[in-house]
Amino acid sequence: MIEFRGIMKAFGPKQVLKGVDLSIPDGEVFFLIGSSGAGKSVLIKHLIGLLKPDAGQIILDGDDVSKLEGAALYRVRKVCAMVFQHATLFDSMTCAENVALPLRKHHNLSARDALAEAQKRLVQVQMGEFAEKYPGELGDGMRKRVAIARALTVDPRYVLFDEPTTSLDPVSARRVDKLIRHLSDTLGVTSIVVSHDLASIFSIADRIAMLYQGNLRMVGTPEEFRNSSDGVVSQFIHGRAEGPMEV
Amino acid sequence: MAPPVAPATPPDDALDGDAERPRPRGLAADTGQLLIEGVRAFRGLFDVALRTVYWSLKGRREKGVVLEQAFEIGNKSVFFLTVTQGFIGMILVFQSGLQARRVVPDLTMLGATFLELLVRDLAATLASMMLATRVGAGIAAEIGSMVVTEQVDALRMCGVDPVDWLVVPRFLASVVMTGVLIFYAGAIAYFAGGATAWAVFDVQPQTYLNARLLDIGDVSIGLAKCVAYGAAIPIVSGWCGLSARGGSEGVGIATTQAVVFSSLAVIILNLVISGVGFVLFPV
Repeated sequence: MIEFRGIMKAFGPKQVLKGVDLSIPDGEVFFLIGSSGAGKSVLIKHLIGLLKPDAGQIILDGDDVSKLEGAALYRVRKVCAMVFQHATLFDSMTCAENVALPLRKHHNLSARDALAEAQKRLVQVQMGEFAEKYPGELGDGMRKRVAIARALTVDPRYVLFDEPTTSLDPVSARRVDKLIRHLSDTLGVTSIVVSHDLASIFSIADRIAMLYQGNLRMVGTPEEFRNSSDGVVSQFIHGRAEGPMEV
Repeated sequence: MAPPVAPATPPDDALDGDAERPRPRGLAADTGQLLIEGVRAFRGLFDVALRTVYWSLKGRREKGVVLEQAFEIGNKSVFFLTVTQGFIGMILVFQSGLQARRVVPDLTMLGATFLELLVRDLAATLASMMLATRVGAGIAAEIGSMVVTEQVDALRMCGVDPVDWLVVPRFLASVVMTGVLIFYAGAIAYFAGGATAWAVFDVQPQTYLNARLLDIGDVSIGLAKCVAYGAAIPIVSGWCGLSARGGSEGVGIATTQAVVFSSLAVIILNLVISGVGFVLFPV
């Protein structure tokens, strides 16, 4: 169970989050939507201690993540993985070495054992034959799949996806959607997905939350979002240029 | 002892809009803000330094990474240092010779005084200032790029402290290679100066090559400076890189700051070590 309680965050004079309250039960595929700069990535980074809130609490399995420091945060990052927007693979390491890194650091596996396990994980995302390639030799979609393998390699119970389908072709994007849904359905993994991809949102989301001007504008099922009479929500969901939404 | 916590990075999308827009404020508020930022920056630098020492003692290095950094810092600086230190050696001896000749027409101690000056101060300081520009800028640019592309956050998610992974190998390589490079750069400056002394002032090599003024104090102070500068440059530059914000502009700012602050660190350390040296080993 993940709970955000009254999260406030400012960068300089800009108040990005103005008191966000949100609960996400286990096993759910939860989408976080909103215009660019709305604070979606900022919100999920609080969950893994990459950012600290100015006020509020982030409760993960009963612990307040905002109060954790050092080694305690590494424990959180073992159960809660993140796939970043731009894959963020390490250029100097092969795909297999990239995937093996969390196993070596979080689980203290030897380099040989971690690489063997990494190979298996790469096969699961159809990247087995590229294990010895460097990230610079791969396309965007392939890099993203390796990044997903790296995030899943520690068997997390929660996975945060930051725009996982951005820059992917439609086929790769739907494969990523399928993987996210599969994680939830078969392994009970809770996924929080930051996305603008309406096809993803309406095909795999259990629930959606929309962030707007630092607050949650609406939380509901895809059906409730489709039928929303809120002008801002409706404009965003239908991708209309004209409407009440302020950029 | 748990490793200290890495500083968090504000994401790109949080910094657009009116975040950068200046607001009218008073002088007191500006001064206060500047002070707060200064204290925060110093704490950040101290935190990186502390973690660098911690992980240098406790961490496990990947095979070959320190050697790779030693090659980057050491071998790739050789040509740059040869050229700069060679010219500096020639200029210093030329100017010293001209000045000395006005006072006393005897230049037999030119080599001995220049050697003492090099060992006690100039070899380490001048070479380190050069290294601060080449090595410091490289470290900050590389780490800064990783910060703004979220690779540093990805490292944290992999259970890795970015200081352990990115700063410590450069720190260890720099401490060793800066010493080696300073010795080499000092030799280049000394021999280039000798060639100048011979060509311009007709000081014979056997007269110039004179280590009579060197003592244990000079060598101790010189060695202390080698270690201090070698440690300071990667720590300061690593901190600048880890503090990068935004996009490519942020990396540019971090790189500039690395050169400025590393050079400043060299000068401040020079003052401190020279001061202590003069107390411990009076001339």
